[in-house]
Order: sequence, then structure tokens, then C-alpha cells
Amino acid sequence: MPVKQKEPLIMHPRPSSIVAALYTLRDLDTDVVILHGPPGCCFKHARLLEEDGMRVVTTSLDESGFVFGGHDSLVEVLEKVIERFKPKRIGIVGTCASMIIGEELHEAVTQVQPDVPVIEVEVHAGYRDNTKGVIMALESALACRIISEAEFERQKALLKEATMVEKRHGAASKEYLAPSRGDLKFKVAGRLLELIKEGKKGLNILNAKKETAFMFADINLAVDEAAKKFGSRIVNMANLDENVGLPKNRRNAREIREELTQKGMELHHIIGGLDEYPIAGNTASRIIGEKYQDFDFAVITGVPHALPMDNIKNMELFSITNGPRQVAPLKEMGHQHVVVEIDLHPKTLGVSHIVESEFGATLREMSRDA
Amino acid sequence: MPKQIAIYGKGGIGKSSTASNVAAACADEGYRVTIIGCDPKSDSSITLLRGRRIPTIMDLMREGMDIKEEDIVFNGYKGVKCVEIGGPEPGIGCAGRGIIVAISLLKKISKAIEDTDLVIYDVPGDIVCGGFVAPVKKGLVNEAYVLTSGEYMPLYAANNICKGLSRLEMTLNGVICNSRGAPNEENIVSEFAKEIGSQLLAFIPKDVLVQTCEREGFSVIENAPDSNIAGVYRKLARSIMTRNEGKIPVPLDDARLRELTRI
Repeated sequence: MPVKQKEPLIMHPRPSSIVAALYTLRDLDTDVVILHGPPGCCFKHARLLEEDGMRVVTTSLDESGFVFGGHDSLVEVLEKVIERFKPKRIGIVGTCASMIIGEELHEAVTQVQPDVPVIEVEVHAGYRDNTKGVIMALESALACRIISEAEFERQKALLKEATMVEKRHGAASKEYLAPSRGDLKFKVAGRLLELIKEGKKGLNILNAKKETAFMFADINLAVDEAAKKFGSRIVNMANLDENVGLPKNRRNAREIREELTQKGMELHHIIGGLDEYPIAGNTASRIIGEKYQDFDFAVITGVPHALPMDNIKNMELFSITNGPRQVAPLKEMGHQHVVVEIDLHPKTLGVSHIVESEFGATLREMSRDA
Repeated sequence: MPKQIAIYGKGGIGKSSTASNVAAACADEGYRVTIIGCDPKSDSSITLLRGRRIPTIMDLMREGMDIKEEDIVFNGYKGVKCVEIGGPEPGIGCAGRGIIVAISLLKKISKAIEDTDLVIYDVPGDIVCGGFVAPVKKGLVNEAYVLTSGEYMPLYAANNICKGLSRLEMTLNGVICNSRGAPNEENIVSEFAKEIGSQLLAFIPKDVLVQTCEREGFSVIENAPDSNIAGVYRKLARSIMTRNEGKIPVPLDDARLRELTRI
């Protein structure tokens, strides 16, 4: 009997599988999601997701719901949701409380008999890897025939890789990771401009997770603008393939690409789609190995830790992340400059245009004065 | 699809003895049988395994095993497949959640609950929370049986179980009387069965042989195959395997229940 290697202890709280399921349902163009659980569960993300046009409601289980079960509340909310929002696609998502007491989401669906598809996700937050919540949501979507078997397998492979990326150099790589604001944007922008002005050759790589690209792309755009101003050679790469992934990810890739083109930024290499951030780094690494090994510096935005070090270790590295706990692992990998765009994600919900970043704004301002 | 049954009844009324003897009797008739012990005490299959205790699903899960079917399914008397879900020590954690997790795991990895003729779920006497009805809710049980004696408290429990079954819209396929030697017992239980819309399938007389065999780690079917009581279990097993009509039970009110035990 194979004994699983005991997973090392990780003490800092990490992303929730329930939230991961919610975001996945959004990517599947679900109109309304019912959280079956206590009113405060996933409050912040439930609110933020409304920015993207998805309604998120809760059955508001209380002490008596925990004791006597929440079936009636779920039926009531499901009926209300159908009446009020007239959704074309509904999601029902479990929580720790409802799953521990053995609530059966399907019973309410059987009773109410909605005439639109209902994606039921029996998820709680007690999974070590939050990607489990994505997989569970996709499994249900597959059962409802909302996605194809091929897309499901593709996503599953990507999520496995995403989990590995976090274990190697991400938030799951250490027993405890202290959050950090990273290096001063002013100083990092100064050093970057110095290199650009010296005419050093640089790589400008966007490898962002889904909608976060709306802000990370602003940084790559600012780098491209500065390079143009000082006549430095920059090669741009981005995971903006608009032909892969769930509908929303394709849409967003197209929107960002069109805007970058319109603003005069040429993308020399497309390294994958917006959901391919765990593997697009490998594609970038291969291209760098073939063509750009002698470059002097690289700016990597989004998920910089997914880019293998092999072909970039001799370059001066500027990475921009939105994870305060990602600073230490990136420094350890050998990135000299690590910048944090704090609270980036909320600002990229409900948008269809590139959103200004602090680092991008700093770079533009300093480049103007230079 | 196999016949998937669950035997309910008050704690201590003899569910495990009945389940294991019915399992053994069905195996004697050539049926492929699987028994799933859902009680945290994990003692459902012990008399089919000559007293041996098998590792439970929860034990392996706690140790972080990558669980395969062969780690949790054990061959007992005449090839009866035995599984014990297990659970935490009394008073710790959440046994109900354990059953939910184990049932999902079984559904995912086990052929023993599909590729067979009869699956018996031996569930704990008190369905104290949602987890304990997981086999029913997850669609793994299609027939329910209630075991009771003619005494008031076991009948009260049986009636309560019927309330649960009717709420779950689960059919009851028969009532089994495990005699405790109460006066007029067979009539009482037979009348109870009739009034809730079911029927008495078997009257199992009180026989010390059952306990004697269990103490040695055997079912009566294995250790005393020619005994009267073995004959009773065989008859019950045949009737479970051949009948399949069930009805959603209509529970009685308490006053009627009290009256019944006085007849």
C-alpha cells in the first residue's frame, strides 16, 4: 500500500477552494451562484464577483440551520433566485458548514426543478490545494455538458501544473511566508530606466493569471513605452492567446491584445492563453533559450515564479507580483528586484480595459522626467 | 445493478448479527455479496472474517494513505466482500463527515459496490446527523429494512426511522422482528408492520447460539449451519433476494404505538 508522503506543514492561510469554485463558475458565464452556508462565508469575493456581473447570494445558514439542516433555506433561495434574476445558468456552491453537516445540494434542485442548468459544487475550504475547487466546479460543468471532455482534461492538466508551481516557488513552498511589500517602486523603476537608457537588451514578459492581466499588462506597456522613448531594444512576450480557455479568458485576452496593439505595443511572442500561466513560462523559457540568451535584463509580470530560471539566471530580473507572500520566494529564486502591486485583483474585476498600475505609473512619470 | 439494502433499527437490537448472517446465507446460495459497515465501532463484518479486524477506510485516511480498493475490501466467508468505514473515537471529531467522505471514496474507487449481487449497508442505530444517511442520499441504497423487537423502545426507534425514510422518500421493503422474548411479540411487530404500510418479513427467535457463534468470531450460518436459527436467516435471505416491492412508510403517532405494545 503506497503511503503518501506526508505533506509539509504550511501555517499561513492560503486561497480557498470555495472561492476558486466561485471564480470558475464566473469563467463559465454562470449568472447567479448560491452559496449554501453562513452569511459571512466568502464575503469579500462574493462581493467582488458582482463587479463581473455575476450575482452571488447566500442561504445564510445560522446556528439553527447547522442543527436542523438547511434544505428549506436552499429551496427558498433557489426559488427566489429564479424569480428575481431569471438566470440562464445557476451555480450552487457548498461551504465548510453545509458540507460537514451533510447537506445534499441536489435534493433542493430535484425539488425545485429549475428549467435551466444548475452546476452543483459540493466543495468546502478544507483542501490543501485550492485548485481542487476549480476541478470540482469543472467536473460538475462537465456533467451538465457545459464544457467538453477535452476542455476538462486540458484544464485539469493546467491546474496540476499550477499546484506544482505554487509548491516549488509559490505560496505553498514554505512553512511560513511573511507578507512583504517588496522593493520600493521608485528605486526599482529608477534602476530599470537606467538599464533601458544604457541601451541594454531586455525581455518584457507578461505571464498573468486570467483577469489580473488587465493591470499587469499596464506595466509591460509602460516598459515598452520607455524602451521606445530611449531607443532600447525590447522583446515583448505575453500569454494572450485568444483561442484557448473558457469564454471569459478568451474574451479578456482579445480585449487586452487589441488595446496593446492600439497603443502601439508589438507582441513578438504569444506564449499561451490567460489560463496557461502555469505552463506559458516554459514556452517563454524555450524561446529565450533559442533566441535571447544574451539579453541583459527581463521584466516579468503576473506569475514570475512560473518562469524557469535556467535561461534567465544571468539576466537582471525585475518581477512584479500581486502576492505579498511571493516576495521572499522570488528573491530566493534569484530575482534581484521584486515589486508588489498590492490589491491588484479587485481592481481587475468588471473591467474590459487595461487598468493603471502603480509601478507602470511610476515608470511613466520617471521616464517623462528623465 | 445490484440490490442495495440498508438495515435500520435501534442500537443493540441486532442489526450487525442480522446483516452478517443474511450476507453469509446469500453467499451460500451463490450470490456475490458486499457488506459495508457504516458504524464507527466497525464491527459489522467481524463474524464473516473469523473474528479478524480489518483496517477501516478512516484509519487509512488518517494515516495519509493513497487508498486503493484492495486496501479496504477484504474477502470474508465464501467470498463476501467486507468493508468497514470506521471513524473517530467516541466524543472526538465528526463521525458523520467520516461516512460522507468514505462513501464518496467508495463510489470513486470501488467495484465491490457495483460488480456484485447484493450490497448491505450496516448503518448505526441512531441516525444522529446528516452524514449517517449519506449512503441513501448518494443513491447507493435502494431498499431499506427495519429491524425491531416487540418492545416499546425498539418500536419507537423503528417508527422514528420510518419518519426519516418517508422524509427522504425512501421505500421500506420490510420489517424484521429480532425477538427479545417479549409477550405476544410476533403479533405486535406484525401489526406494526401492517399499520405503517409494510409487512413482517421474518421472526428471528431469541437463540443463545447467535451470541455463542459471534463470541468465536463466526456467523451461525458458518458455525452452526444446520441449526434452526440458521434456517430462519436463510429464509430471510431468500425473501430479501426475491422480493423487491417496497412502499414509503407511514409512521404511527405515539399514542397508537403505545397501544400496539399492549395487544
